Amino acid sequence: MKRSSVVAIIVIAIAIAMIIVMYADSSTYSTFTEAKEKQTELYVVGVLNKNKELHYEPTKDANHFSFYMYDNDSTECRVVFRGAKPQDIERSEQIVLTGKMVGNEFHASKILMKCPSKYEQDEMEVIEASAARTVGLAVPATDNR
Amino acid sequence: MDINFVGENLLPGKIGQFFIVFSFGAAILSCVSYYFAAQQQAERSWLKMGRAAFWLNVLSVIGIGSCLFYIIYNHLFEYHYAFAHSSKSLPTHYIISSFWEGQEGSFWLWMFWQSVLGAVLIFRSRSWESPVMAVVMLCQAVLGSMLIGVEIFGERVGSSPFILLRQAVEGPIFSDPNYLSMITDGRGLNPLLQNYWMVIHPPTLFLGFAAMIVPFAYAVAGLWQRRYKEWIGPGIPWALFAVMTLGAGIIMGSFWAYEALNFGGFWAWDPVENASIIPWLTLIAAVHVMIAYKNSGHSYFTATFLVMISFVLVIYASFLTRSGVLGETSVHSFTDLGLYWQLVAFNVIFLALMVYLLVRHKKYMPSHQKEEEVYSREFWLFIGALVLSVACVQIIATTSIPVFNAVFGTKVAPPVEPIQHYNKWQAGFAVVVALLSAFSQFMKYKRTDVRKFYAAAAASLIAAALITAAVVYLTKVYTNFMYILLVFAATYTIVANGKILGDAIRGKWKLTGSAVAHIGFGLLLIGALVAAATNEVISVNNSGYIAVAGFDQVEKPGENLFLTEGEPVQMGDYRITYVGDSIVPPNVYYKINYEKIDDETGRVTESFQLRPFAQNNPQMGGLIGTPDTRHYVTHDIYTLITAAMSDTQLQAQGGGGESGFEDYEEPAVYETNIGDTLRYRNGYIVVEGINRNATVQNIPRKEDDVIVGLKLKVHAATGETYEAEPVFLIRGGTTFDLFKDVTEQGLRFRFSNIMPQKDKLELMVYQKPVPEKRWVVFKAIKFPYINFFWCGAIVMTIGFFLSILRRNKEIKPGRAA
Repeated sequence: MKRSSVVAIIVIAIAIAMIIVMYADSSTYSTFTEAKEKQTELYVVGVLNKNKELHYEPTKDANHFSFYMYDNDSTECRVVFRGAKPQDIERSEQIVLTGKMVGNEFHASKILMKCPSKYEQDEMEVIEASAARTVGLAVPATDNR
Repeated sequence: MDINFVGENLLPGKIGQFFIVFSFGAAILSCVSYYFAAQQQAERSWLKMGRAAFWLNVLSVIGIGSCLFYIIYNHLFEYHYAFAHSSKSLPTHYIISSFWEGQEGSFWLWMFWQSVLGAVLIFRSRSWESPVMAVVMLCQAVLGSMLIGVEIFGERVGSSPFILLRQAVEGPIFSDPNYLSMITDGRGLNPLLQNYWMVIHPPTLFLGFAAMIVPFAYAVAGLWQRRYKEWIGPGIPWALFAVMTLGAGIIMGSFWAYEALNFGGFWAWDPVENASIIPWLTLIAAVHVMIAYKNSGHSYFTATFLVMISFVLVIYASFLTRSGVLGETSVHSFTDLGLYWQLVAFNVIFLALMVYLLVRHKKYMPSHQKEEEVYSREFWLFIGALVLSVACVQIIATTSIPVFNAVFGTKVAPPVEPIQHYNKWQAGFAVVVALLSAFSQFMKYKRTDVRKFYAAAAASLIAAALITAAVVYLTKVYTNFMYILLVFAATYTIVANGKILGDAIRGKWKLTGSAVAHIGFGLLLIGALVAAATNEVISVNNSGYIAVAGFDQVEKPGENLFLTEGEPVQMGDYRITYVGDSIVPPNVYYKINYEKIDDETGRVTESFQLRPFAQNNPQMGGLIGTPDTRHYVTHDIYTLITAAMSDTQLQAQGGGGESGFEDYEEPAVYETNIGDTLRYRNGYIVVEGINRNATVQNIPRKEDDVIVGLKLKVHAATGETYEAEPVFLIRGGTTFDLFKDVTEQGLRFRFSNIMPQKDKLELMVYQKPVPEKRWVVFKAIKFPYINFFWCGAIVMTIGFFLSILRRNKEIKPGRAA
């Protein structure tokens, strides 16, 4: 066999081994319940609970942001993020968190948000609202007091 | 229901749409004609027809671009593309970037470059013209189909940039024939893309992508025409050209990521970035094997395979970024435009072409009876190409996880820490590749004098080891064995190729290009490693750190620092102060002063101001910060706003002046006369006079109207003065008044009454409550030795350019004709 063929086979073998190892590195999309059991870093997909308060007070701690999220099993959990509040989180349709469970809180190291697509209906309303802008005409002044 | 819409300018869209269909037809005609021209060389009429159709295609591609540019430039928001990607406030150079923000525009860019390259090929490729152009025009036709945007058998084919807003979006306002008057502005360009790099990065990148077809087409032509050995010659300069432009494009993207993106770095292993580097790596490998084949006759199949797979991977990259398949793993990819299956078909067509040709011609391919020597350059070039390919496989495999999920219905998530995941693998490959590109330079083709080789290799090795020790010490990367190894390998490359460069200057000029390119590669590796390994967040927040007890032990300290206006904070070597904002709509610039203070004397040794800015575009996803960077020779200081008070942002939107009365405190009502002085919180107001000829914008004066303005001058305690003229108006027995604001001072005035019997003028003064002290939350990162990275990239590009010059000269005119 030619030397280059031998090398090629070895290299291919390494490549296959590498892909297998890579899948060991890969993670899973899971839920809060699973995160509690596993105690490892993983992804949790879910939606923001818009009824509960999003807590971020930069004047006290610029690196503490917390909110409540429902995962795909509709389990609610408090999420704590060591960082500034991502600006458009209120608008998000879906959130992908990276992090792990600590006690009853999920400590996120990364937050990825999916925001409404460009073809959203309410976009037109926004434009209408801004188009209706007029000069600052105050209320008619009352007659002589 | 037919509605006659008012104010639409439909002509440019119709012309553009015509050009799209025409370009598609011309591309198919040209492709077919060139195909027959290649099959029947004797018959010249096919060739003529192919050329004619090609020029028609060029014409219509330019036509499409002109129409689209006309639409965007003139803000014709009845077209969805203009509405979705631009706005009236965009300066011209960003109108150019908005042109290719969308998928359609970037497809056009690709087609445009392909036309340019086609024109070059017609003049330069001589006997290769027909088969090569047949392949190029096949691709041009497929790209053209992406823009058609018509329904065939209920399936939409392509997505036209000339679609109207009312066709693209459903909304109640489109039942109004006058809907256009309500759409005053477009959605604007994503603030992240409002960066000068975005003006030149996409064209360069797409020139690179488009150029990849040329070596591919030569390879196809070589197999198809059974001119197996010949295509490599003209193929090499083209492959180098593609590698150079795509590489430059990728680096520009990296510059942009470093300057504008807020993930704080020049490379984040985002799937979109990976998609562009994959074909680049395979083509780099291909170039090396092509050169090896040319000089030794070995590795023909590998060379052909790598050239062809590179272009197939370009198409795969566009599938990844354009089909929406990356959805959850990348925030930067496009969303699906309904082209999913069309993109799959694009992949399949070219993959099938490649497989068919390789299988069919395998047995005719030139091969070498003798085995390569271990001490020969071709052997190590081959090994290097294999290592690069394996590195590529790793990137493809991880990037393609969402594709595997889509195909097999699995739900595997990508690695939680992608950067570490990729770095772990790629650092290893980089070490091997760097070592190979160092010692292979001392090898000769076919057979090397072993003793001479070891002498030369060892001398450079020792020199490299010494330099490595110094570099590692200076850049402080000695904490990790892998770092040291990588620095060593890269230094070895630089030293070894530096020696070759020295020889080149002394006469062996041929090797200049390769030596320079490899030196650039070495510098780039060191820069990337040091910047990535030792960049540190310097805005570490220690205050409020203990406040959340029991929590901090597991987490690293916060990376965001809270700054109140005018209150200095010590951050590492610097004392930083947030001194205020300046508003240049739509951006708010936050001024942050950095001062370095000598400990002993207490004197300021260095001071500068960084002005990171942020733009709040609710339609593009909220507040988007753009960092500002202080560049030094040895490091950069990078500052980014992560949160800020919302009211300055409101002012930047132009909304601040139109806030309601609820934003103000209860007004003070004064009965005044001309010359009176009134106090307010930050100064005083002088009633200067009455303007009986006041005019009011939007309200034409009628004959019996009484319109009176009250001239006021505001003197702030800080010394500034402002003028305001609230207006009182009587029309038909009813009185109105128009307020005026002095936003800078938070004042609003109403001239609310004239009392002739008292000889007094009634003035209402509204004041905003004392504003909360301004604050920002920001993050600062120090990137050491990042300049090595940029330097290396530029040097590498120069090296490629020199190589192109050399390889282009090598094509023997007699053979190519």
